[in-house]
Amino acid sequence: MNCQRFENMVSELARGQMMAAEQRGEALAHSEMCEKCAARLRDEDMLTRGLQSLAAEMKTLGAPAAVESKLLEAFRTRHVVTPIASRRSNASYWAAAIAAMLLIAISVVVFRWSNGADEPREVVKQTEPQATPENKVPENKPAEQFTAGVQEHEDLLPQRVKPKRARNSGVRRPASAQLANHVNNEIATDFIPLSYMSAASLQEGGQIVRVQLPRSALANFGLPVNMDRYNERVKADVLFGVDGRAQAIRFVQ
Amino acid sequence: MTNGLNWRMNLKSDLSDSELLRSMLAGDEEALALLYRRRQGGIFRFALQMSGSKTIAEDVTQEVFLFLMREGHVFDPARGSVSAFLMGVARNHVLRRLRVEHLLAPLSDDSDDDGPFVHPSSELCPLDDLTRAETIESVRKAVLSLPSKYREVVVLCELQDISYGETAEILGCAIGTVRSRLHRARALLLEKLRPVAAVEETGSATVRCFA
Repeated sequence: MNCQRFENMVSELARGQMMAAEQRGEALAHSEMCEKCAARLRDEDMLTRGLQSLAAEMKTLGAPAAVESKLLEAFRTRHVVTPIASRRSNASYWAAAIAAMLLIAISVVVFRWSNGADEPREVVKQTEPQATPENKVPENKPAEQFTAGVQEHEDLLPQRVKPKRARNSGVRRPASAQLANHVNNEIATDFIPLSYMSAASLQEGGQIVRVQLPRSALANFGLPVNMDRYNERVKADVLFGVDGRAQAIRFVQ
Repeated sequence: MTNGLNWRMNLKSDLSDSELLRSMLAGDEEALALLYRRRQGGIFRFALQMSGSKTIAEDVTQEVFLFLMREGHVFDPARGSVSAFLMGVARNHVLRRLRVEHLLAPLSDDSDDDGPFVHPSSELCPLDDLTRAETIESVRKAVLSLPSKYREVVVLCELQDISYGETAEILGCAIGTVRSRLHRARALLLEKLRPVAAVEETGSATVRCFA
């Protein structure tokens, strides 16, 4: 045993770590012979005792009880409010809730839009009794797509118009134009736009004018025409905007 | 009701840490309480001995178990024991806190590749002259002044009495590294606990005892 080897194992020796009995004996024997290594071993022993005293002093220390209480509370909150097992299903609950809220929001928007679109219908109720083709259609701004077919005949030739088939006609109608009503016990199709028509234009107001058209006009709007009654006329309501332009038409039975 | 709780906890007291952790993750509060009571002391003392601050020690203890609640499933029994896992988490939290609060006492020499440690003369101001309380306080301060990588092996191996193997698991290094760091740490401690030799201009040494 030399001083270098002793130095390498002096910490283990002082800490009482397991080592071969023969090695320990050699180290101790060397420390008896070498004063420097003996002092080194004494220092290590003292350090070990100091560290053991510190460890013993702190051995009873622990976190305050409040820490445990907080942790248990946090654990309860975590497992009661958002338990691990149900955390996944919560995602689907949230998705369903969001979808429901979106549906409600969309419904509200559509409802308000429809209410807004009802305004022209209010006009219908007010103006319909006095409305005649002659005095309601603005003379200076006739509905270009429509005036050619306007007739002055008052005779009504009832012809059943099937709104459902009209919906399949391929003519795109905005939701706001779905004003199929029973005004004065009449059956009417939805309003069919004659030009670009938005909900805003409907809300601006306007007038509805009752007209009669050749039945063949139904074909212009993709509606079925009874060829047996081809020469007869059919009633229709033309919606004129505030600018005097014909905005939409619906056929009435 | 408390008796019932204690009775149920006594039934579980024989369970291993791993089993308690599994039960805890399944929502068993008693398992958490048992595991906490079993391991909180070591974690608290480790944090306290590393930081010297009771506040940090409390925070770290709490953080460790909160982490266990959140991320306990990452524990892999094949990689070590629950206690080593917890101590490793505690170590990360302590070091982070110390970095943030700048509580680390820097040493100019913080390398494993230092030259051979020259031990000061042993005849000067021996530790056994100190009273026990003074000794404990001196040792505590000396430990706190060590660089973190030496401090943690002293705390784990000397103060927590954890084996080299488990310390290596906690620190994520080889056992040989633990051994060499501990050897170096003890040398540094002795150096701090011994009188400082102030070399005068003449070259002769005057001895000043800090004990």
